Amino acid sequence: MVNYGGDEVSALVVDIGTSSVRAGYAGDDTPRAIIPAHYGFLPTNADNDVAMGEANDSSSVANKSRHAELYIGQSGPSIWRSGMEVGNPLADGLISDFRPIKPLVDHAISHVMRCNPSDHPILVTEPTWNTPANRERMAEIMFEEFNVPAFYIANTGVLNAFAAGKGTAFVVDVGHSMASVTPVVDGFVLRKGLVYSSLPRLVRAQARHILVTATTQRQGIALLPQQMIESKAPVDPNMPPQFTVRQNRVTNTTETWKNWAEEREIDEWIQHCAAVLDQGWNDAAAQARPPRQYEFPTGFNSYFGTERYQVGEQFFWHTPALVASNSNLPKNIPALISESLRACDPELRQVLMGNVVLTGGGSQFSGFADRLNSELTRTFPHAKIHAPGNPIERRYGAWLGGSILASLGTFHQLWISKEEWQEHGKAIVGQRCK
Amino acid sequence: MNASAADIRSALSLEPGTSAGPSQIKRTGSSNTKKPEGISRELYSLIGPSAPTLVAQLSKPRLKQKPNLGIGTRTKWEWRSFRNKGRTDGLELKHWVKANSNPDADYPFAKYNAQTAHYTYSQDEYARYLEDKEWTKEETDYLFGLVRDFDSRWYIIYDRYEYPGGPSRALEDLKDRYYSVCRKLVRNRPWGGDEASKAMLLSTFQFDKERELTRKKYLTSLENRTPEQALEEEALYIEIKKLEQNERRFKREREDLLRLLAGIDSGLPDVTEDDVASLGQVPAIDSKVKKRKNGIDLESPVTPSTSSVSAPVIKRPQPAKNAAFDAQNCIIRTELPNTTSATKAAHQPAFLRSFKMPTPKAAIAPKVTQALTELGISHSRLVMPTRDNVAQLESLVEATVALVEMKRVVDKVDYDLEVLRTQLGLNEGQEGEEVKAEGIDADESMVDGEADEDGRAQSVASARSGRGSRKQFRRSMSVSSVDTRTNTKRQKRN
Repeated sequence: MVNYGGDEVSALVVDIGTSSVRAGYAGDDTPRAIIPAHYGFLPTNADNDVAMGEANDSSSVANKSRHAELYIGQSGPSIWRSGMEVGNPLADGLISDFRPIKPLVDHAISHVMRCNPSDHPILVTEPTWNTPANRERMAEIMFEEFNVPAFYIANTGVLNAFAAGKGTAFVVDVGHSMASVTPVVDGFVLRKGLVYSSLPRLVRAQARHILVTATTQRQGIALLPQQMIESKAPVDPNMPPQFTVRQNRVTNTTETWKNWAEEREIDEWIQHCAAVLDQGWNDAAAQARPPRQYEFPTGFNSYFGTERYQVGEQFFWHTPALVASNSNLPKNIPALISESLRACDPELRQVLMGNVVLTGGGSQFSGFADRLNSELTRTFPHAKIHAPGNPIERRYGAWLGGSILASLGTFHQLWISKEEWQEHGKAIVGQRCK
Repeated sequence: MNASAADIRSALSLEPGTSAGPSQIKRTGSSNTKKPEGISRELYSLIGPSAPTLVAQLSKPRLKQKPNLGIGTRTKWEWRSFRNKGRTDGLELKHWVKANSNPDADYPFAKYNAQTAHYTYSQDEYARYLEDKEWTKEETDYLFGLVRDFDSRWYIIYDRYEYPGGPSRALEDLKDRYYSVCRKLVRNRPWGGDEASKAMLLSTFQFDKERELTRKKYLTSLENRTPEQALEEEALYIEIKKLEQNERRFKREREDLLRLLAGIDSGLPDVTEDDVASLGQVPAIDSKVKKRKNGIDLESPVTPSTSSVSAPVIKRPQPAKNAAFDAQNCIIRTELPNTTSATKAAHQPAFLRSFKMPTPKAAIAPKVTQALTELGISHSRLVMPTRDNVAQLESLVEATVALVEMKRVVDKVDYDLEVLRTQLGLNEGQEGEEVKAEGIDADESMVDGEADEDGRAQSVASARSGRGSRKQFRRSMSVSSVDTRTNTKRQKRN
């Protein structure tokens, strides 16, 4: 027990990301509760919708807030409901809307993990570019709403480094909406070296563009989700799909839900097909790779060859045409890395390059780590990349680091206790969590 | 004769009394013995209670005894709240501890909350010693606060350094200010200890800003090299290493030579072990050369005795005491295989001697086998592989190998001679009668090799020595019928 410096006080670790909210006990190797960060809600402005007014009456909600009824969790947004909108509390990796945070965290802790948050110290993660106001608001929610005995907010970059067993690391984190590069030295983030961009969003946009546009072989693909399709018949590859739409669902489907569902279809396609060429873009090499078949919910299916590599290439290289057409294009991974390194002390560069940690669910494109390695070794021959092969470790690296940190015996003096919160107020968060 | 059962009983001296007839079923176990656990009813009715040992064995299946780990009793654990001395507030967290542990003991991790000593200064001290036109007192205070907060992790201090209204400062500026302030404080404060320790403390606060800046500049320029420059630099580095190696080897050889000339007592220092190790490649090349020399080469004919020993065996001197002991107890110590390096602790596990039978090289193995079979010896199996026998066999195999090798050389030389002779014959034929000579050559070689040879020997003076050695070998070859030209001739003749 003392040998490894661990002392578990049954702390909880909550990691809120753009794609999912992760919660679990500190000391575990996998989060117990993983729920989507997206949530469904029924807008309750009764003045233009009679049916919604009825729903309001039945739930007898006193407050007329927008989030009178929330659908959270695995059967939240993924179930079609008439007039249900889909929202996400995060924008650019930061919490922009704190109203659904409490229900989300409450769902993960109380309903999925079935434990009482007021019994457990809670460690929450934050991206490096989090604002002081945001972290103070988070502390407020935890202390005032969840009544936790102790609270700490830790940086995802640092936690990812800890999950890799490193105190000093160069964390390349490719998430659902943001890609960031964070130099970490001795367990502290070098804020001047932090750079991030919304690169994954560009990649998804590119994937959508590729799928929706018709090519010589196939038509443009309708990204209709499973929930909208009543029946379908099997068709040969590249043949027009034969399916019938659920007509009763067409009218009451909201725009946000449709967007969310389409994004999911794109994500599924990316996860199944998209890959990165490990030695830089090369038409011949991309064509030499075997194409992969994918069937959409409409029944349309096709083989994707070069296209699946074009998607992954967006992480590393943008065509001059794309750069010219879009002035504020998100920086690609090599640009992020070189910009971050330029901001670091020259003495640190070699050390950081020897401890590159690749993490985040977005980095799980096949061939991503190899490509990053070949890009890095071109300029830094001694670069060494730590990329966990275990997908859980890669996707939930920050949670895992939090799990390690919060189960250390030496960490327990860092908790912000309720007593300190009441005594010092919001200022204690900035003082304690550096 | 009418003999009752009682009669027979008495005749067999069995006790009378039981009137049970043969038709009556004997009920065993029903009265006093009970079927023990763990044995099937059918089996019990067969063996009955009469085989108690068997029953005892069968009825109690004995499992392997559980290991006693020495703990004995179970440990009780408690979910107990604790206070951390490292904290300033009274936060009570809970953790699992052994119930018998002391509840009032200090939290074991609190001791890691070590605070390093940091320098502080008073307003008076600042005014007297620490004034600097570049720095205000407030900014210096801010710097010292950061150094304390981040435990002198300068990269982070520099990263977080944001003094409102202050000029932008480099990492070296911050370090320079901090260390100069510390130096001044140490110098001007009354010092309790001796001067040496004060000087030592001062030296820990030494910081040369200019030098650090130059160093960083060099580092940056090192990073900004083009790949070509880096390659060139590497090539140059390798070149200089080679030169150094050559130099060292030359020096060593010269010393060896000197020692050889002057003898051991010449007083020359031994070449250090380190030197040899650093040379690395050189001995490897040497050994390669040696190996090539040891192989049978046509350019330099060797005697069989040298070819049988491929490399000199390094004998390790045995202590005399051991030798006597070994002789007394019939202990035979085997030499470590000389392929392993002397530095490696080579452990030779126990083995059967018959496993270590000498085997000839794979290339000539069939020929050796053939030659030995001719002698009626199987070299792959010994009926009694005693040490002497194995040694004998080894020497035999070695000799055979040498023989085969030599044979091959002889054949080659023979063939060369033949060719040369033919050429010579041709030359002569060009002068005189060429067709006839060739015809005779062919005829004679078919009929009688000896005569042919003698004829040649007269005409080719230079081949005389070769012929002599060849004759010698013919004799030794008689044991084998290795399929070569000379032998077929011989067989024909015989």
